[in-house]
Amino acid sequence: MLLPQTDEKTGAEKTGDFLTNTYADLLLQSKYVDAGARLEYLEHPLPGFENDFAGWGVPNFWVKGRLGKGELTAGTFYEQFGSGFILRTYEERSLGIDNSLLGGCLVVKPVQGVTLKILSGKQRRYWNWNKSLISGADAEVDIDQLIPTLQEHNLHLMTGFSWVNKYEDSDEKVYVSPAYRVNFPKYVNAWDVRVSLNSGPWSILAEYAQKGADPSFANNYIFRNGSAAMLSGSYSQKGLSVLLQAKRSENMSFKSTNNVSKAIGISSAINHLPAFTQDQTYALATLYPYATQLADGEWAYQAELGYNFKRKTALGGKYGMNIKVNYSYVRAIDRQFCDTTNDPLAATDGYSSSFFKWGDDTYYQDLDITVTRKLSKAFKLSLMYMNQRYNKTIIEGEGGMIHSDIFIADGKYQLSPKTTLRGEVQYLTTKDDQGDWAYGLLELSLVPHWMITVSDMYNVGETHIHYYQGLVTCNFGQHRLQAGYGRTRAGYNCAGGVCRWIPATTGFTVSYNYNF
Amino acid sequence: MRYIPICLLTLVLTACDHIDREDRLIYEKPVTSKRAVLLEDFTGQRCINCPKGTEVIEQLVAEYGDTTVVAVGIHGGPLGFSGNTTTLGLATETGDEYYDHWNLEYQPVGLVNRHGAVNYPEWAAAVKEELLKPAPLNLRASATADNSQALHISITAMGTDGTSSGKLQVWVLEDGITAMQMMPDGTANADYVHNHVFRKAVNGTWGVEITIKEGETRTWEYTQTIEPSWNIRNLSFVTFVYNDYGVLQVAKAHLR
Repeated sequence: MLLPQTDEKTGAEKTGDFLTNTYADLLLQSKYVDAGARLEYLEHPLPGFENDFAGWGVPNFWVKGRLGKGELTAGTFYEQFGSGFILRTYEERSLGIDNSLLGGCLVVKPVQGVTLKILSGKQRRYWNWNKSLISGADAEVDIDQLIPTLQEHNLHLMTGFSWVNKYEDSDEKVYVSPAYRVNFPKYVNAWDVRVSLNSGPWSILAEYAQKGADPSFANNYIFRNGSAAMLSGSYSQKGLSVLLQAKRSENMSFKSTNNVSKAIGISSAINHLPAFTQDQTYALATLYPYATQLADGEWAYQAELGYNFKRKTALGGKYGMNIKVNYSYVRAIDRQFCDTTNDPLAATDGYSSSFFKWGDDTYYQDLDITVTRKLSKAFKLSLMYMNQRYNKTIIEGEGGMIHSDIFIADGKYQLSPKTTLRGEVQYLTTKDDQGDWAYGLLELSLVPHWMITVSDMYNVGETHIHYYQGLVTCNFGQHRLQAGYGRTRAGYNCAGGVCRWIPATTGFTVSYNYNF
Repeated sequence: MRYIPICLLTLVLTACDHIDREDRLIYEKPVTSKRAVLLEDFTGQRCINCPKGTEVIEQLVAEYGDTTVVAVGIHGGPLGFSGNTTTLGLATETGDEYYDHWNLEYQPVGLVNRHGAVNYPEWAAAVKEELLKPAPLNLRASATADNSQALHISITAMGTDGTSSGKLQVWVLEDGITAMQMMPDGTANADYVHNHVFRKAVNGTWGVEITIKEGETRTWEYTQTIEPSWNIRNLSFVTFVYNDYGVLQVAKAHLR
């Protein structure tokens, strides 16, 4: 919860006396039946959520029965098919996402290695359920479980197929001109096929999904099919890991409503496309986070290398050293837009696209190198360098390309067996946007109960505003209480390529968790 | 029997609601208007999708005329631009106040006769619906300039259906302002021509209370100083009466 204050320097506004996002989960478990419910009190929510987010009630309630090889859930549930290209319902409280389905889900494992799922339901949008019906089925077969020869050769082969259908008898009236309105299809189908092969340290996954004609606000009411293709390969041995992956997607925004007001923003999403960018945790590395471009599409590439230099070697030193290198590159796909002059139908075709060809714009690029080394028995140091290009115009709507270099040092010193002091120094340098930023943090941990953190983020380049914060965290048994005071800057909060705009805040914060 | 799974799979993959290309759009005859409609377009120079909203307005105005679909571009909100030493900004404090008052979340977004926020793809549908509703009063506006110093605005209202209570609002608009606009492709267009831009609320931010009985005719006179940044040849005026149930009637007049 937040006790907000008006802060003329940061632009933070006192939007209420007391803002809170409060959740209480109740779970009952037995051998054959589980049941659960969640009370949410979001009547006066933290800043930055959509207007419809406010409210309170028990939007999640479910009962799950298990018998033999089957499991049936009735009520609200979360599910994902494959990588989520055509179906992923999940909860991410920091973003205000809960796109659970209200209906039924049956999971059957008829034989070892075969999992079948079938589901149908209406999707939650804040305090209502969208009126469309989402139905789907998924079959995943571990072929190596059926063919012992593969197991004998240490080969694990999996294949999966999914199908999702959206049924919406839409009464939305969207005109492309005063005389022509869009004829929305009642049914939109999507399917996904995938295969993965693992052998020893090697692993490869290929997945392809396609979505039928689904004119929407996001795709500018075109009837073109959507698609997503992904190829991912990895190698992981003790001390060495390599990941290489590529993904091409286009026109894959898949929402459970044609209503423009409900479809704008991050609610009502049926699917999810993972971002091929590194999830950063350091404050300045998260200043310009990438959000997946579902509707416009993207070519995304990621390469990651991790290596452990052994102890007592020239580079490893006395305690060993770890190096991680990540490179992500996201670029527009080729799109040749149809000539729509005097032909409103041509606009519904949208564009043509050559599969392997890039578009003109780079959306995002980062190269980050992290070296972690224990320098003494008590001191561990991580150094990180990140080179980033962030297309603010594409991701936020304006601002051009921001090219930044970020330097981070993170040191952890064990003062005593129960006392640890951690410090971070970060500097971001750029000629674009608001210029340079500096950040410092000190964190004192007194295990098992206390942690005290102070930090300051300072805009060197333009505003010269300090975003300071002090936090005290205590853990007692199943209770965790965190209290603090500080400023946060306006910006995007992202998780898995989905982002939410958060306005600047100043004030006291309190966070409490209790598990029993 | 062995073909059943293949048939089912084929059925699943092809069981979409296929719409032939020529059926993707449904033709609807333009409606015969019973009244004028106020379309408040909450826009901003830093908003890349706002020119798309302007396109919808241009289509509606081309179809019904600018005195039937009365569009007002209210610059403000988070993507509004107030200007700096080198670039002209069109956002106003009043525009920001309107944006906050209506609790709007995105730009562009509009109010069609003040019945709640409507996103631009749905403006045409909302405008058509409003055009078919009879208005309980008629409004007429006229304005003259006084040696480029002041504007004299005359508003006449006639009650036509019961007693109408609400607030009378008078705004100054300006067409043909060349100023920067962010475009949908992410580029900044320095030569973008902004039309029907909200410039000033003549009789206060929220207007003045009025009541008109059926058959009654009332007139209001206002004087407004011409600000140096306005191009007098491109000015127009919008007057409307609104209450908690929306806009009762709206009228637009160009400066004579």
